[in-house]
Amino acid sequence: MSDSDTFDPADPKNQKTVGNIRSDNPRMICRGVEVFYADKQAIFNISLDIGKNEVIALIGPSGCGKSTFLRCLNRMNDTIDICRVSGTIKLDEMDIYDPAIDVVPLRAQVGMVFQKPNPFPKSIYDNIAYGPKIHGIVTNRTDTDEIVEMSLRKAGLWKEVKDRLDQPGTGLSGGQQQRLCIARTIAVNPEVILMDEPCSALDPIATSIIEELILELSAQYTIAIVTHSMQQASRVSQRTAYFHLGVLIEVGPTDQLFTRPLHRLTQDYITGRFG
Amino acid sequence: MKKVLTLLSAAALLISLNAIDAMSARDYISIVGSSTVYPFATVVAEQFGKTTKFKTPTIESTGSGGGLKLFCAGVGAEHPDITNASRAIKSSECKACFENGVKEIIEVKIGYDGIVVANAKSAPMMKLTRKDLFLALAKDVPDPKGGENLIPNPYQTWKDVNSSLPNQKITVLGPPPTSGTRDAFVELAMEAGAKEFGFIKAMKKTDKKRYKAVCHTVREDGAYVEAGENDNLIVQKLDKDPTALGIFGFSFLDQNADKIKGAFVDGVEPTFDNIADGQYPVSRPLFFYVKKAHIGTIPGIAEYLKAFSAEATWGPDGYLSEKGLIPMPEAERMKFAKDIQMLIPMECK
Amino acid sequence: MNKMPQPTESSVGSCRSRTIDIVNRGLKRRYRAERRFKIYGITAIALSLVFLALLFITIVGNGYSAFRQTEIKLDVYFDPMEFKDKLAADANYLAIVKDAMRSLFPDVSGRRDKRSLYGLVSTGAAFQMRNMLLKDRSLIGQRIPVWVPADDDVDMLVKGHMDRGLPESDRRLKDKQLAWIDQLAADGRLHKAFNFSFFNNGDSREPELAGIRGALMGSFYTLVVTLLLSFPTGVAAAVYLEEFAPKNRWTDIIEVNINNLAAVPSIVFGLLGMAVFLNFFGLPRSAPLVGGLVLSLMTLPTIIIASRASLLSVPPSIREAALGVGASKNQMVFHHVLPLALPGMLTGTIIGMARALGESAPLLMIGMVAFIVDIPGGLTDPSTVLPVQIFLWADSPERAFVERTSAATMVLLAFLITMNALAVVLRKRFEKRW
Repeated sequence: MSDSDTFDPADPKNQKTVGNIRSDNPRMICRGVEVFYADKQAIFNISLDIGKNEVIALIGPSGCGKSTFLRCLNRMNDTIDICRVSGTIKLDEMDIYDPAIDVVPLRAQVGMVFQKPNPFPKSIYDNIAYGPKIHGIVTNRTDTDEIVEMSLRKAGLWKEVKDRLDQPGTGLSGGQQQRLCIARTIAVNPEVILMDEPCSALDPIATSIIEELILELSAQYTIAIVTHSMQQASRVSQRTAYFHLGVLIEVGPTDQLFTRPLHRLTQDYITGRFG
Repeated sequence: MKKVLTLLSAAALLISLNAIDAMSARDYISIVGSSTVYPFATVVAEQFGKTTKFKTPTIESTGSGGGLKLFCAGVGAEHPDITNASRAIKSSECKACFENGVKEIIEVKIGYDGIVVANAKSAPMMKLTRKDLFLALAKDVPDPKGGENLIPNPYQTWKDVNSSLPNQKITVLGPPPTSGTRDAFVELAMEAGAKEFGFIKAMKKTDKKRYKAVCHTVREDGAYVEAGENDNLIVQKLDKDPTALGIFGFSFLDQNADKIKGAFVDGVEPTFDNIADGQYPVSRPLFFYVKKAHIGTIPGIAEYLKAFSAEATWGPDGYLSEKGLIPMPEAERMKFAKDIQMLIPMECK
Repeated sequence: MNKMPQPTESSVGSCRSRTIDIVNRGLKRRYRAERRFKIYGITAIALSLVFLALLFITIVGNGYSAFRQTEIKLDVYFDPMEFKDKLAADANYLAIVKDAMRSLFPDVSGRRDKRSLYGLVSTGAAFQMRNMLLKDRSLIGQRIPVWVPADDDVDMLVKGHMDRGLPESDRRLKDKQLAWIDQLAADGRLHKAFNFSFFNNGDSREPELAGIRGALMGSFYTLVVTLLLSFPTGVAAAVYLEEFAPKNRWTDIIEVNINNLAAVPSIVFGLLGMAVFLNFFGLPRSAPLVGGLVLSLMTLPTIIIASRASLLSVPPSIREAALGVGASKNQMVFHHVLPLALPGMLTGTIIGMARALGESAPLLMIGMVAFIVDIPGGLTDPSTVLPVQIFLWADSPERAFVERTSAATMVLLAFLITMNALAVVLRKRFEKRW
């Protein structure tokens, strides 16, 4: 019988995170983040830094709060009426939960790629051009063409779709759709990209293409990725955070966390005792 | 989105413009009232619209009571100019009119309508009296054993009512209480039949309310079937069921003489001539009422009255008689034609 | 150690066979239940199909003949004497028609016989002459053959709705008239032609002249008002309620009330319309404007409910995608959600419109159930609508209106079917897959 059966996330003793939550060069700083769905608490007192140009993987069993935490980072949880967030989350010294902060520019800075590929039911071109257009990044056709091509190139999709930009994005394969969504996100040139299990709906080949893409993008962007696959976490991330029942149990460099976990629960998870 | 907004504002503009236009005047005659007069008034209106420079009047079939209510609501373009009625205006209605500013009303009698009791062509000819009709259809009837007390209607077959009638179940399809035809029928046929019982006739003086209830209440045990206002439906049902009788206006008998035939009432057959000369007992006058204040403001009313009172319209050879209207005797036609010409308003009783 | 697995294995084996036995035993019953249900379903569908077929067969069977109208060929002579000293519009065209009839049967004499002879052609013939001449004055002094509509009784006889075998007193047409009609038919002066007047004329008390044009135009104007008011209002209300309104007790109350309004009998809207639009705002009676207002009140709840359902069916992933790239709520709704929901909204609207087209009860209160001959030319002209026209004709004593009632019903049904088909096509065509 492991600790996991008796683990009480509400106990402050259990809310201590093992490992170094800090980053030398942080882009986002989260302190004491708690999330409630009506009366039910989903996340307990999480503090974590997300470093510049790093890929941080958030792992943990289902319902551990990793996605909820990720969605706090661009205030996507605002769309749920009953959801309440406390604690502070800063993006480059700016408190994103400050009432004076507007979520629209925030989401332009912190982009998001979702679990299921969700291109707009419009043409490939319009999918990419939409973000830059509404933010006023582009105003004429040449600039738009340029940004579309650049984003598709960065997402490694340009060669495959350059002859059919006017066709609907929904007509692409699953992997292509997800890369289109990534291209759409980077078209508004965000500082942080949040990815919520981006490969869970894809086959292994599409998955490996996306993983390569994540590694390439990390040179330019800060990426936080939620994944249920430990192999994927170890392949793409430099740091890994392990969540359990709404508590951040352990953070550490990816190789160390997978080879020499410090916490008993982390060890149980990576060795497959539960999950 | 912009397109929708433009469309919306355009529509709003259009509607408001139209509404303003409508407030200013009405250039057609608005007629309401009785469904019995409707088939006759519509023919005149159509002819009038086709042969004059005026627009065709609109005619709503609202029933006599409903029409008078609308008519008496006031003076002005939003109120009707003429109401048709299958009965004379009541003094209460006339007073209501007066109180609402409708002070001068011209009453025009247009002719007569016979109410017939008919059955299928294939069925035996019925020879009824009004007393038979009362006994067959009233809710409470005098005790057949004699005496002066009323009992719930025990009669099941026509033979029970009168031994000279065929031995068939009483089934009568007729109009509902909202209908002017029903009002006229209970008054002209049933009440007259009831009066033949001395003690009921005497009741009129002593207890008028009870008298009315006795004479006018139709039985509700299924022998009388309320068939709705659609007389065509009654004709169809009669055609299918030879044991049933139906009650409706003469014009429906006239148009459907190949399917149904009218029963003799008090020995008189419901024919055009018999109703016209007053022999057939169950007939009633038809009217329309004109708002004098509107003559001159709404174009065409005087001309419409003239067209209605022409011999070619309501005379014995006029086209209304082809539609089943029973014309008035000549003296009466002359009188009303004169009233129309002089625009003589009626007196409230 | 060796003995232990033995019983375990056999117990597993026997257990499995037992399960299968139990399953097999129940299997027949389960299939029977399935078969039974299928039979119920098929019976229900067959029954409704039979009723539908019955409806269509009766209506089409009664009504198809109304699309053809019996006509009589007259040799009309526009006698210059008739046009002397008067305006062409005021000439006695009835006399011209009567002359033409008399010239066909010169030996008819006596007032009564002449009257019944003239009765064979429609009273509309004189108006037809008048319109012909006003269009072309050069006809004066000419003798030309013209097909004019026959009286409705003649029409009924030709179409076989009148029994010649009945005794003369029971027939609308007398023996002499039958003889004349046979004579006309023998001379090739009687034929059935497409009934243009049915589509070109307004209402009339002469069945052979009555048409549905007035009612169609009335329906058109009424529906235009209804559509222009109820669609934007309904969509705006639905978008606000579904996307922007806070979820609290007030919005709950509004929602419940909208759902209740959708179930309110339509006559109630008529009463409301009479009280508000006629008595309070003083709008004219019998006007398509008021009819449209009343019908939009009636269709609004339907449109709001359909629009909300269709907004709700837009997958949340599209909303997230839009918000994810930094669209504001307004942009998310109008750029992404609304376009995707629009086909569903249109479908709901068209179905609401179809219901409004078939509605007559609420119009009774505001004076649109009326005899109206002139074809309405605007939103405030007195007019009626198709279902009301059907109702009025069904109540007319003349036999020939029976087939016209069915024919008008066919036209109404055709419109309803077209509208519903349009709704299906729109849904199929613009439904986006995601």
